[in-house]
Amino acid sequence: MSERIGFFICHCGINIAYRVRVKEVAEYAATFPGVVVAKDYLFMCSDPGQDLIEKDVKNFDLTRVVVASCSPRMHEKTFRAATQRAGLNPYKAFHMVSVREHSSWVTENEDQATAKAITIVRAGLMRVTNQSALTPSKFSVNPNTLILGGGIAGMQAALDIASSGNKAYLVERQPTVGGHMLQYDKTFPTLDCAACIGTPKMVAVGQEKNVILMTNSEVESVSGFIGNFKVAVNQRSRYVKSNCTGCSDCAKVCPVDFPNEWDVDTKMRKAIYISFPQAVPVRYVIDKKDRGPCVQTCPAGINIQGFVALIKVGKPAEALKLIMEKMPLPGSLGRICPAPCETECRRKEVDNPLAICQLKRFAADSVDWATLPVPTIEVKPESEKVAIIGAGPAGLSAAYFLALKGYHPTIFEKAPFAGGMLRFGIPDYRLPPAILEQEVNYIKRLGVDIQLGAGIGKDRPVGSLFAEGFKAIYLATGAWKSRKMNIPGEDAEGVMHGIDYLNLLNLKKPVKTGKRVVVVGGGDVAIDAAREALRQGAAEVKMVYRRSRDEMPAVKHEIQSAEDEGIKIDLLVNPIAVLTEDGKLTGLRCIKMALGEPDESGRRRPVPVEGSEFDIPCDMMIPAIGQQVNPAFLEGTTGVELTRWGTVAANALTYQTSVPGIFAGGDMFTGPSIAVEAVAAGQQAAISIEKFLLGEELTENRPVKPKGTDWKPIPKKPFVASRTKMPTLPVADRIGNYKEIETGFTVEQAQTEASRCVDCGGCCECKLCLDQCKAGAIDHDMTDKQETIDVGSIIVATGFDPMNPSKMSQYGYGKYRNVFTNIEFERLSNATGPTSGKLRKRDLKDPMKFTDAPKSVAILHCIGSRDQNHHEYCSRTCCMYALKYAHLLKDKCGHDTEIYNFYIDMRCFGKGYEEFYKKVQAEGVKMIRGKVGLITEDANGILTVKGEDTLSNRLVEIQVEMVILCTAMEARPDASDVMRKFGIGIGSDGFFQEEHPKLAPVSTPTSGVFLAGACQGPKDIPDTVAQAKGAAAECLALSSAGVVEVPPMISSIDRDICVGCQLCIGLCAYTAIEFNQYAGISEVNTAICKGCGSCAGACPSGAAKVRHFTDKQIFAEIDGILLN
Amino acid sequence: MSEFEPKIVAFFCNWCTFTAADLAGTSRLSYPPNIKIIRVMCSGMVDPKFVLKAFLNGADGVLVGGCWPGDCHYINGNFKARRRVALLTEILKQYGIDEERFWLRWIAASEGNMLKEVADLMTAKLRELGPSPLQQMGQMVG
Ligand code: FES
Repeated sequence: MSERIGFFICHCGINIAYRVRVKEVAEYAATFPGVVVAKDYLFMCSDPGQDLIEKDVKNFDLTRVVVASCSPRMHEKTFRAATQRAGLNPYKAFHMVSVREHSSWVTENEDQATAKAITIVRAGLMRVTNQSALTPSKFSVNPNTLILGGGIAGMQAALDIASSGNKAYLVERQPTVGGHMLQYDKTFPTLDCAACIGTPKMVAVGQEKNVILMTNSEVESVSGFIGNFKVAVNQRSRYVKSNCTGCSDCAKVCPVDFPNEWDVDTKMRKAIYISFPQAVPVRYVIDKKDRGPCVQTCPAGINIQGFVALIKVGKPAEALKLIMEKMPLPGSLGRICPAPCETECRRKEVDNPLAICQLKRFAADSVDWATLPVPTIEVKPESEKVAIIGAGPAGLSAAYFLALKGYHPTIFEKAPFAGGMLRFGIPDYRLPPAILEQEVNYIKRLGVDIQLGAGIGKDRPVGSLFAEGFKAIYLATGAWKSRKMNIPGEDAEGVMHGIDYLNLLNLKKPVKTGKRVVVVGGGDVAIDAAREALRQGAAEVKMVYRRSRDEMPAVKHEIQSAEDEGIKIDLLVNPIAVLTEDGKLTGLRCIKMALGEPDESGRRRPVPVEGSEFDIPCDMMIPAIGQQVNPAFLEGTTGVELTRWGTVAANALTYQTSVPGIFAGGDMFTGPSIAVEAVAAGQQAAISIEKFLLGEELTENRPVKPKGTDWKPIPKKPFVASRTKMPTLPVADRIGNYKEIETGFTVEQAQTEASRCVDCGGCCECKLCLDQCKAGAIDHDMTDKQETIDVGSIIVATGFDPMNPSKMSQYGYGKYRNVFTNIEFERLSNATGPTSGKLRKRDLKDPMKFTDAPKSVAILHCIGSRDQNHHEYCSRTCCMYALKYAHLLKDKCGHDTEIYNFYIDMRCFGKGYEEFYKKVQAEGVKMIRGKVGLITEDANGILTVKGEDTLSNRLVEIQVEMVILCTAMEARPDASDVMRKFGIGIGSDGFFQEEHPKLAPVSTPTSGVFLAGACQGPKDIPDTVAQAKGAAAECLALSSAGVVEVPPMISSIDRDICVGCQLCIGLCAYTAIEFNQYAGISEVNTAICKGCGSCAGACPSGAAKVRHFTDKQIFAEIDGILLN
Repeated sequence: MSEFEPKIVAFFCNWCTFTAADLAGTSRLSYPPNIKIIRVMCSGMVDPKFVLKAFLNGADGVLVGGCWPGDCHYINGNFKARRRVALLTEILKQYGIDEERFWLRWIAASEGNMLKEVADLMTAKLRELGPSPLQQMGQMVG
């Protein structure tokens, strides 16, 4: 059948015709094969224009229609409808050519524009005859709507939708709805208070049963299409359940404070908080981040931030309780732990790390251990016995945790005292035995049986304990064998290994200390031995260490103390031989070392300097270069395997050895290490042993170590205190005695030190709130909740951010205390703000304090708006709120307050706005037309504002007590994420782009997704609400239509051509293509396909095509364009 | 040289670059008329056949325009376009088509000025390069 084409070109008033000679184009078209009618018309899109087309289709019996006018993105729908009304299938019969956007508007020369129009019209005429009939598929519409953003736009839209009986899912990122509007005080120009008109909306969304409120939530992904979206929402854990009554008892005891975001940091809040008293839902939320680096680093996993916070607020007993959840030896370890936690402490980014270890000691020292209450324990039957070998930190810790669980541990210790290395390896002036003893006694009070002088070994082998009725055994005998130096003369008289020396002294056994003592090594044992020797009467004590000071493994302040006491440390020196006379020590031959390349431990390897040998005369030498495990206790026991380093082999997670039921830990597993590692090992062993006794899988359900680096930022507040120095005994008082050298923090010192914590983890998990909450609403273990919501339409109402003016350094924001932003001023003026609504200046020293009312204020308009360097656009609200501020200042601070408004132009365009402007002017506010160039501050905080007055053409300089910067409204920093998730566009101003600036102000390129409020561009409250209502109307129109037509331009795969290569399946971003195994071909799921054509573009056989964009159709267009 | 006016076929994705072309129009940014736009839904839809066909039919240059990486309306169609264009460029070289004749550009819906810039640059470049070596051959085949 021969085609009969009608061609219609539009003048678009003069928009097309002024440059494209439309008649000439029509004349050309008329000559084109198949064209039976070609006409031009003034406004093709008008009713008569459409009518013209319809009539001509009938009169001329047209089979195809080509319209040349504006962009198809504008009127394709219009003309398709007209063609359809005329009885043709619009996809087959109609094509549109853009001669306006693509020719008349972009081509300067009339001949060229006309020629271009003819070319693209020709392409259209050639394409149209290749088109085929398509029918859009129809889908039913889910009547519910999801609204992203709970500001005034979102709330209004939700309420409108809910009132129709459909459901509105309102997703808000913050813990409360309200948005910026609820942060404000009064609203212009009527001056009704934002809370008075806003809180009823908030309450309504909270109570309306058709509004499903999801606060503290974020949209993760969106799939589906108009009428049938699936939205995945992540409800971030609030840690407070919905039965919270909002009574605020929890916040009263919470020990950690943060600046309240809602008050733009002008006021503090607790870690458990509500943003402001009227928040909806009135449900507290806990600001919890990843556990702090200290907690993550502590081998025992002590809640460091928690106990520090408790000390800060004067609750040392509670602090101790928290510590002892993880560690039974706080006083002992609080004295000797090298505190790996402190190395990670983020306070070091400000000055020095927190004195965590010493605060732990403070907590332990502040209670009476003899009367320290024992927790209630659910005691297990007598038969649940566990044998623990070794009463060192690992053994004590395992016993402690097992006893807390109700088991019956017995510790077998061969020495006459409990404590292991803590007792025998550490001198009394660092860890007085009484301290250790009170902790051991406390462990005994929990029901732990400690048998001293009860060695396990040849006579009572480990394995025999099972026969004695113990159901599990924990090996924790430590590493007591001193490592040899392997140099000649090592066994001479006068050589005594460090650990043996300390051990004997601690046992009060007689030891002969020399006069001139040399200690070899740089670890804690070496330092302790050196300091002991001094106390034992040595005249001279010297240490030699083969690396540099930085590499000394000993605790830094202990090294310092040793030097203070007169011990000399020779660095980069290594002994090579022991000098003897008649088998007696006379000196030590050493060689100087230099630092070479780093070794596998990352430390630079010391290398001997040739020819640098020298001798140190001495009568005693104490090597302290490390210890090893002495496996003697395993005598008579078979099956327990050792590693090649002589330590006991055990599973790194469960600590079970090669024999089921026998566990090992502490130094005997790790080799010599620090006490807290041993405590951690004991803790883990207790978990394993309990699992073993219950018959559970050892590796399952073990507590996980916290990780992550999502921490609170280091606060901006000025830091006053730096690390508190531990008070010590004067050096003169130390020599010759064993008095404890570090005397401990006073209460004030401890509290000051504790207040230095930067609270990395937000909530410190001290759990004080748990006891306070009568409703039992707090759940610290709550986890995020993922939900997928089915809706038919979506409204994006994510709002704006006020610009941060600190980058405009000329205004001194962030530097000068009394330069405020507009939002800060709003909070100041708001009754729930930091000053309860009084307009006050900031204290010059403490930004969280406010003093008296300002006598003079400068209000600067257009900060960041209408500014080439920042945002070219006008933020539309600043003029009006600036006037409002002027009025409020006059009203609240007295009419004699001097107010200067620096403006560029006054834009008072809305209803009642101009009137308001007149009124404020009449109040005596000075209006200066011009920009401010610079603000400076003098010592008294008086601000000098320098600017120009463009009306009188002179420079002005005024002194004021306060400056308010009216900052630009800008797009949210994560707008592009939202854009991608929802398939909407962003304009060059950063705000979301509406489909048409005038005629489709709430639509987006993705059908079914609408915009409302300031996320689309700066606007005031009335405009926002109006737009929200518009968006709601769009959604409701969709819902009440009940069905949607989905464009039929989707992919299809020709069954006869497809070779089943499945290339397309991997390319499809929507997994819309499946392989049909029986037919051996790929098939498109039409409900899922979006018609992007990724498959068609790649199909090697040409079987995959996108309907309406087939090869034939595109080829025809190419032909048309390139025909000469 | 002054007589030669290159013919450029442009495949623009509906969501970004075609919209940018509309915006260039609304903003009255003029650019050489050499560029003729064919609307496709996504740059990932541009079949190598389309490009070959254009060159064989006598195009002096082909321009593919899509959304910026990450912004494709269809998630990642533009990545597929990018891979395909890279491959095709190599093949075209075999036939004597300089890579300067085949452009892929990311132009967002808001970048009307960028569209004009690309149109200006590409036209100027092709004027410099002269007619496509395939023109003769294309006429023989076509
Ligand atoms: S939609 Fe623009 S490149 Fe895919």
